[in-house]
Amino acid sequence: MERIALVLAVVVAIFLVAPLAIIVPMSFSTAISFEFPPPGYWTGYYARYLSDRSWLDATANSFIIACGSMILTLIVAVPAAFGFVRYRFRGKGAINLVMMAPLIVPHVVTALGYYGFLSLAALTGTRAGMIIAHTVLSIPVAFLVVSAALKGFDRNLERAAMNAGAGPLRTFFAVTLPVLRPGILVGALFAFLQSFNEAVVAIFIAGRDAATLPKKMFESIRLESDPVIAVVSTLLTGAILIGVLVSLLFRQKPAAAGG
Amino acid sequence: MAEAYLRLRDVTKSYDGKTNAVDGIAIDIARGEFVTLLGPSGSGKTTTLMMIAGFETPTSGAIALDGDDLTARKPYHRNIGMVFQNYALFPHMTAADNVMFPLKMRRFPRHEIRARAERMLALVGLTRFADRYPNELSGGQQQRVALARGLVFEPDVLLLDEPLGALDKNLRQQMQVEIKRIHREVGITMIYVTHDQTEAMTMSDRIAVFHNGRIEQVGSPLEVYNRPASRFVGEFMGDSNFFSGRIDPARPGWVELDAIGPVRIAATDGSPPGGEVDLMIRPERLRLEVFGADDGVRNVFLMSIEDLINYGDSVLALGTACGQPLRARVLGSEATALCRGMSVRVSWAPGDAHILPRSSPLYPA
Amino acid sequence: MHAVAQRGGWRTETMAGGLMVAPAVLTIVALFLVPIGYVLMLSVSDPSWSLEHYRRLFTVPLYANVMLGTFRTALIVTLACLILGYPLAYVMARRNDAVAVILLVAVGSSFWTGFIVRTYAWLVILGNKGPVAAAYAFAGWGQPPQLLFTSFSATLGMTHILLPYMVLALYGVMRKIDPSYLRAAESLGARPFAAFRRVFLPLSLPGVVNGSVLVFTMCLGFYITPILLGTPKDMMISQLISQQIEDLLAWGFASAIATVLLAATVFLLALYNRFAGLDRLWG
Repeated sequence: MERIALVLAVVVAIFLVAPLAIIVPMSFSTAISFEFPPPGYWTGYYARYLSDRSWLDATANSFIIACGSMILTLIVAVPAAFGFVRYRFRGKGAINLVMMAPLIVPHVVTALGYYGFLSLAALTGTRAGMIIAHTVLSIPVAFLVVSAALKGFDRNLERAAMNAGAGPLRTFFAVTLPVLRPGILVGALFAFLQSFNEAVVAIFIAGRDAATLPKKMFESIRLESDPVIAVVSTLLTGAILIGVLVSLLFRQKPAAAGG
Repeated sequence: MAEAYLRLRDVTKSYDGKTNAVDGIAIDIARGEFVTLLGPSGSGKTTTLMMIAGFETPTSGAIALDGDDLTARKPYHRNIGMVFQNYALFPHMTAADNVMFPLKMRRFPRHEIRARAERMLALVGLTRFADRYPNELSGGQQQRVALARGLVFEPDVLLLDEPLGALDKNLRQQMQVEIKRIHREVGITMIYVTHDQTEAMTMSDRIAVFHNGRIEQVGSPLEVYNRPASRFVGEFMGDSNFFSGRIDPARPGWVELDAIGPVRIAATDGSPPGGEVDLMIRPERLRLEVFGADDGVRNVFLMSIEDLINYGDSVLALGTACGQPLRARVLGSEATALCRGMSVRVSWAPGDAHILPRSSPLYPA
Repeated sequence: MHAVAQRGGWRTETMAGGLMVAPAVLTIVALFLVPIGYVLMLSVSDPSWSLEHYRRLFTVPLYANVMLGTFRTALIVTLACLILGYPLAYVMARRNDAVAVILLVAVGSSFWTGFIVRTYAWLVILGNKGPVAAAYAFAGWGQPPQLLFTSFSATLGMTHILLPYMVLALYGVMRKIDPSYLRAAESLGARPFAAFRRVFLPLSLPGVVNGSVLVFTMCLGFYITPILLGTPKDMMISQLISQQIEDLLAWGFASAIATVLLAATVFLLALYNRFAGLDRLWG
């Protein structure tokens, strides 16, 4: 029975991965539009991507907005996680619901809301508006990740530090923060990736000046069939794959404990 | 009794305002003593330790060290070291950094910090492992680093919270010897928390037995073992036989045991002048009588053996005498002839038993 | 922030804790709940105060069909993800070797790859110059039927994109199932499939519920894939919203549709919370 399961699992895994794999040869294709198998191979469209102003701007926007929202998210979500996990007060249920709200509301509803709201403040089509929207969308995820890290935190470490003579502030910086760092970094990474990949809200409010890669790709797909899309897709997929493999390496390290 | 160095007076701790986790305990600990707080889980021993360390504040009562009132002081302002149950070594620092941490926090002279840490690591035998991270050390090694870290800043008292619980039996025994050795060499006052009575007996100068938030007895290991102040202490400190009976003040030197009859007891036992009592005999005090000699001094039971448990070095015989359950521990070499169903005579001297005021059993039958 | 018993009592604790969560909560209230509230308000206030949009939505067959169609599609996608995802999650959870790692990398990479990239991949595959067409030609079957811009392609695309979510939700629960339960069952005489059916399957049900709720609610509001891969003839709610906004600038009506979508999502999650507790979803 395990063998049947294995076969099924592999088939499904191939189903998951194959479509993305097809994009890679496509990006080297000489054809003007979608054509598989590709008639010929060249790196011309890679060159096109690197020289096309609109694509490069979109890439830059994606990075800037993702970084900006990541930083703002951490500033707000890390203290919130601390407050939630370490302190007791009433109304935690309601606050938890509020914190999760951006996760619960479908993106298209959020996008609609931001379109109306940000246009009132003349922030549509600006990076600032995008950063605001993406920050809010990333807060729940960062909050969850950091909260989980805090819940698993060994309080005895802080007690040991205080027993060794460190006051509350020194304990926080010398012990709490360093031990929590991996959790915070993961939260930051999730916030970054979430913003980088986010499409729906971007489509509604980014305009041309703040267009991100997902928005540009969406429009390219709809309006033209620009082969550069395959190039961007390949680059993004490749980056994600490298990221996932690197994160795996980080997970193996702590298991090197001796007997 | 030496001058009290660490003194707890009427210390009480309640978390919810209704029940007391620690209920009015008092104890005086002398400088350089090794005192164990012993008791089952939930008896209040760890809470007491936490209050001495400063991580919990007593609801009422006072804790003083060398005359200095510590009760409300923050942990980082006390000069008390602590070894935690799960070691709590900082995972992002090497062993050496862990040991140097308190010296930095307590502002020891900078040029001394490294040297002191190295000396301490040498004391616990870990010089070679100074630059390893905690996750690269075994349980026993981590334990030693925790010890070194707790001692390096020369605290007035060292607290140990069940430090050996996670180790296997052989390693635990090794570490017990290690800790005693360090205690002798350094001469520091140590307060040790454990639920393991054997550990308490082998390591302590004195044992404080905790039960339901109170200290039932403080005394040397032998005192607590042979002369328990209450039935709880008697049953907790080791295997025991308890018989209920009564003393007639008109007949000192004798106890009338239920179902068994009169037995001789040592007159100057400190036993109550009369009334309902419990009589305790440790299983190893019962001696197999092969030849049936009755010397008129020792008490004799006729024991019907129902089961034999072989421990290798000794054999525990479980059975009854006059219908009352009886447990006898016999040296392995003497037990070869025993088998189930046999009736044997076991004797004991009056001084082998201990009389206590009557109370209910810890584990009802 | 530390373990010392709070001397000031509950009041200082409340203040300190409240202060720390305040920035996040205020941000979300002011910069999220307000915009959403704006949408809710628009649905009943544009162009004038009335419930006209909702009446239209529920009575005009065209729109009612869109809603029903969306629910139906979401159900199909959820089922497909469940059937495909279960064996994958099972193998990942039960094994600890290189195979499990490879599968995890595959699922993880798919999970983090953006929706647009993956939708584009299906555009390529199902297009009339794509690999499917090429396979047809190779097999001598001529031109394949119209695959793209149908509800089939939209459903397929959504299944592919949401599959990792289902797998990870299942995996999370399956991973925690103690293997000794199955060994116990086998030692008691159960053959592998029986042990699976009677022990593993029931224990994995919380994961099934988690994954299904997650995928279903995400599918309801799915925007990218239906628009790029689907057809206006078999619209989903998000396509309707897009059409109303982009083509007709009908803000009030679009807001009403969005509100209904939000209400349905919240209702489902509230139902789930009733029976299982929302924290399990992202636990």
